Amino acid sequence: MIYLDNGATSLHKPAQVYRAVEQALRQCANPGRGGYGAAMEAARQVYGCREAAARLFDCLPEQVVLTANCTHGLNIAIASLVRPGGRVVVSGFEHNAVTRPLRALGADIRVAGRKLFDWEDTLARFDEALKPGVDAAVFTHVSNVFGYILPVEELAGMCVSRGIPFILDAAQSAGSLSLSLKKLGAAFIAMPGHKGLLGPQGTGLLLCAAPPKPLLFGGTGTASVEQQMPRELPERLEAGTLNVPGIAGLAAGLRFLRHRGVEAIFREEHRQAMDCARGLEKLGMEVFAGAHQAATVSFLPPMDCEEAAALLARQGVAVRAGLHCAPFAHESAGTLETGTVRVSFGYDASGDQTRGLLRAVSKWNLPGK
Amino acid sequence: MKYYYITFRSVTFAQRGEKLLSAGGVRCTLQRTPRWMEEQGCGYALKLWSRDPAAAVALLKENRVPLRRVYVQGGDGQLEEMAL
Repeated sequence: MIYLDNGATSLHKPAQVYRAVEQALRQCANPGRGGYGAAMEAARQVYGCREAAARLFDCLPEQVVLTANCTHGLNIAIASLVRPGGRVVVSGFEHNAVTRPLRALGADIRVAGRKLFDWEDTLARFDEALKPGVDAAVFTHVSNVFGYILPVEELAGMCVSRGIPFILDAAQSAGSLSLSLKKLGAAFIAMPGHKGLLGPQGTGLLLCAAPPKPLLFGGTGTASVEQQMPRELPERLEAGTLNVPGIAGLAAGLRFLRHRGVEAIFREEHRQAMDCARGLEKLGMEVFAGAHQAATVSFLPPMDCEEAAALLARQGVAVRAGLHCAPFAHESAGTLETGTVRVSFGYDASGDQTRGLLRAVSKWNLPGK
Repeated sequence: MKYYYITFRSVTFAQRGEKLLSAGGVRCTLQRTPRWMEEQGCGYALKLWSRDPAAAVALLKENRVPLRRVYVQGGDGQLEEMAL
């Protein structure tokens, strides 16, 4: 199978990730709950993950909160910054993981910047929208549908200079694009562990630079007499038993990325995405590609998107079709009615994968061919 | 031989403290805090194998690792809290 759905999850992990998960499952008890060897080993694994993440994202280990996924982190971040009914500026490419929690809070959502691959427009629209009275801004680093890399450094600078806290959704960029919590000045950065960071499903990270509100309340293994959640991070946000095998696997993924180099990974992913876009265009597909593109390419086939993805699956190519949980992004691009077929490369991106996809598409029995 | 114990409110801070002290040449062991030592219940402590707890405390403070208390254990096994 040619796996090109890394935007949903990275299916093929480095060997050390599988080993770390199994080892933790066999050797680790509950971290922060005991002083015996297996409990301390679990605590060591968990702290190792925080350290690895802190090195990659330029923050302190205690600023790294372990979550179940990116959505979990975004929910915490949004609940921490946005008052019920508060005004929030978002980009036109947000995922439901951002827009649904905002709707649940009754937030006054202002959408800024809906033109694909157009930094000038994105910046101009944010400049207009980031006014006094805005509780927070939330924007994605990379559109999960179209692979559009937003000008996050410039947007961050705009927010910081106006005193508006912001949340970065790094679901599609963590592990592919460099990120520094300190330099960006974000209140929170949320990311999944199971996509570009190459950990198992059920893992995620929330990098915290602002005081957070817990979503979950319960045991933390410390200060047990107190009936409020601890003030300190990361325990404040980590009630209940952690997913230690998953976290150990995530730590192995983070170390792999540091060793391989995020920039080197992105170079190859990007090269394949661009080759893929050009190839699909030559085959007559309507392709959404442009400047500031990451490792994801969406296209419209001359048939229903789900049918095209099902056909590709039968041909041995795994891609995703539909709305990709991001109706805002489709509204922006005018594809809400059709959806798109999405091709997303990962750390193992190769010319063989691109050629395999293009070969499969070229075999479609299209009218007029 | 005297031993010194530094207590923390969370295992994460105790672990960061352990890494910092070890890197700074201060031998220490991470362990659970005895119940009487932590009135809020359940905490972690670093046992120092050092004669200079002040240097260890200074290193932790310099790196903004919040610590709770410092105890000294004399040859008779009795523990006594020290001023930070």
